[in-house]
Amino acid sequence: MAVSWRSWTANEGAKHIVLWLSANTVLFWKTFTLYCYGPQYYYLYKMLGLGLCLSRASAAVLNLNCCLVLLPMCRAVLAILRGSQKVMSRKARRLLDKSKTFHVACGVAICLFSVVHVSAHLANVYSFSLLYSEEFPSLNIARHKGEVSWCVCFAVPGVTGVLLVFILFLMFTASSHGIRVCSYEIFWYTHNLFVVFYMVLLVHVAGGALKYQTNVEDHPPGCLGSNWTGGSDNVCRAEPHFQAHFPQTWLWVSGPLCLYCAERLYRYVRSCGRVTVESVVKHPCGVVEVRMLKSGFTARPGQYIVLNCPSVSSFECHPFTLTTCPTGTEATFGIHMRVLGDWTERFVELLLSEDSAETETLPVVQRRTYPKFYVDGPFGSSSEDVFNYEVSLCVAGGIGVTPFAGVLRALMGDWQHYKLRRLYFVWVCRELGSFYWFADLLCGLHQKLWQENRPDYLNIQLYLSKTEALQVCVGRQYQALSARLQVGRPRWPELLDDIGKSNKDKRVGVFCCGPKGISKALHQLCNSGRSCGTTFEYNKESFG
Amino acid sequence: MGKIEWAMWANEQALASGLILLTGGIVGVAGQFAGWQFAAYGVAAGVFVCLLEYPRGRRAKGTSVERTGQYCLTVCVKAFGPITRNYYVRAFLHAALCVPGGFMLATVLGCVCLGIASLIYLLAAIRGEQWLPILPKTETREKPRESIKEPPQNPPPRPPADLRRKRLEDVEGAAYVNPIPVTGSED
Repeated sequence: MAVSWRSWTANEGAKHIVLWLSANTVLFWKTFTLYCYGPQYYYLYKMLGLGLCLSRASAAVLNLNCCLVLLPMCRAVLAILRGSQKVMSRKARRLLDKSKTFHVACGVAICLFSVVHVSAHLANVYSFSLLYSEEFPSLNIARHKGEVSWCVCFAVPGVTGVLLVFILFLMFTASSHGIRVCSYEIFWYTHNLFVVFYMVLLVHVAGGALKYQTNVEDHPPGCLGSNWTGGSDNVCRAEPHFQAHFPQTWLWVSGPLCLYCAERLYRYVRSCGRVTVESVVKHPCGVVEVRMLKSGFTARPGQYIVLNCPSVSSFECHPFTLTTCPTGTEATFGIHMRVLGDWTERFVELLLSEDSAETETLPVVQRRTYPKFYVDGPFGSSSEDVFNYEVSLCVAGGIGVTPFAGVLRALMGDWQHYKLRRLYFVWVCRELGSFYWFADLLCGLHQKLWQENRPDYLNIQLYLSKTEALQVCVGRQYQALSARLQVGRPRWPELLDDIGKSNKDKRVGVFCCGPKGISKALHQLCNSGRSCGTTFEYNKESFG
Repeated sequence: MGKIEWAMWANEQALASGLILLTGGIVGVAGQFAGWQFAAYGVAAGVFVCLLEYPRGRRAKGTSVERTGQYCLTVCVKAFGPITRNYYVRAFLHAALCVPGGFMLATVLGCVCLGIASLIYLLAAIRGEQWLPILPKTETREKPRESIKEPPQNPPPRPPADLRRKRLEDVEGAAYVNPIPVTGSED
């Protein structure tokens, strides 16, 4: 069981989640007790009661989460952090893989604590009205006792609060998994309302509805009034003076907001550069390879870019992993794009549209006019870490092979200089034609490693998952691949056992890019811990 | 780009609004604020809206993602036929339900959110969308045909025996055409 515990901690660790949870809990508790027992809030607490403490404590947690929720979305910053190997350890880089999960966790926390905050403030509004303080008029929001709660709500914090809930409602309802699968546009357009959300939030906290007492020394709370004739030490020396808080939220939120805006500006400027299409190649099974050139573009294998084509859709941006990265000698970079969905269909149509008028005239100069599009990126992903393990297992499902294609191409260039000593490459496809996308690359790399006397460096296993109506016929030049092709789905426990036995006491990086079924099965197997003392570290590829 | 299914989003919004209305109603009733009867109404309306909106409808194109345990409610909602299928009915129902919530501060948020959901449902109805239940596909197993089970009772039709006998003196004349074409095994 000691081995499985080690596997579990390597994979789940979850130290960062515990840190975030404890930060939230501590902040909530500290603020709660401050408002409950703090002398400067004594009179306010007497008027509002539990509603005050709950609303302020939830507001503090909201401050923290509104600050943190933007950070995982600063993709260019994360890509830079990921690249700096000296600054970041592998554990820290694996943390960056979970950035989208962290963003979702912060978002859910914002929604939950907004509910608490709003409910508590509703109670406060009633308390302000019913328990109108005659003694300390400056503490009140209501204009007189029993003022209708509606009118209290029309102050700045009330109106902005309702607007915030409304925006949060739209964003939250459009973010569920069902909507993202069904129509991503609704999710994307509503999520961009976060700009309005933050602007309104900055105004909301400037309302100054809740005040604290500034002169606690001169007027200790609960002291006796100046008309108290009996002798006592506890006599008020002055009337209490109340003042609204400085809006703390401005301090919390301004940093990440500025960072995010700066990053978006940087990405916009970077993506404005001209992109020239060098070639467009049609591959079997609906995949199109696009090779392009952009001045000053550099990328590491495993990174992805985001394409935006105004002729197809002005606002939609789609991510594609780089299958060819620019190297020192060759500045072109390329992607393999699977045609699935309306955007890719239209884009490929524009790329491949032949000028039919050319058939009439002599094709002396065949000028292709490609659509104009913008490339934003590159952004990092977990597949960049393949080179940082001694042994890596790359599992690809269908078009999920693209990050590993970039890795294989980099190995083709120069495999000796990486820490990687052995690579297991498992590729599962439904159709035989899919293997032709990278058959040349695989055979070429296999051949090169055999000639350089490292036959054990690359272990290729290809699986054809569709077993009915089969006619397996691979060309003769791909003999190395046809010998490694198996029909049927791979058996993961046996595969991991094999790898474990050949690499005892080593740390194996497992990289998966494919359907959920495969990644879930692998993730569970990596956690369960196999015999032979090998630790399997699971890294899931996801477009964050 | 592409056809957006508004009903999916309206469904999520209506479910969330039901929950908000319910929460607001509970707070109103628990605090016994003025107009708490509206809060009690909010609780009832919230529960009703949640039950109605919990079962997700089937998508017109693509795979539908079910909510956990929605099968029983799907059957109940389906039983009402055209009333629950039509989105115009749902739009007006939600619009009507949300109005009383606007009279009390605790339920006003639920009222506004349900109103928005009602508007999106109206949009979905105008675009001709309908609620279709997600039901598990019943597997129909075909009974194997009788002829497969039983072996053939008659031999294949052949010319009479004396015609089939090998005649070495007249090989060409002895050839006959099979009444039923025979495919030999190909190399």
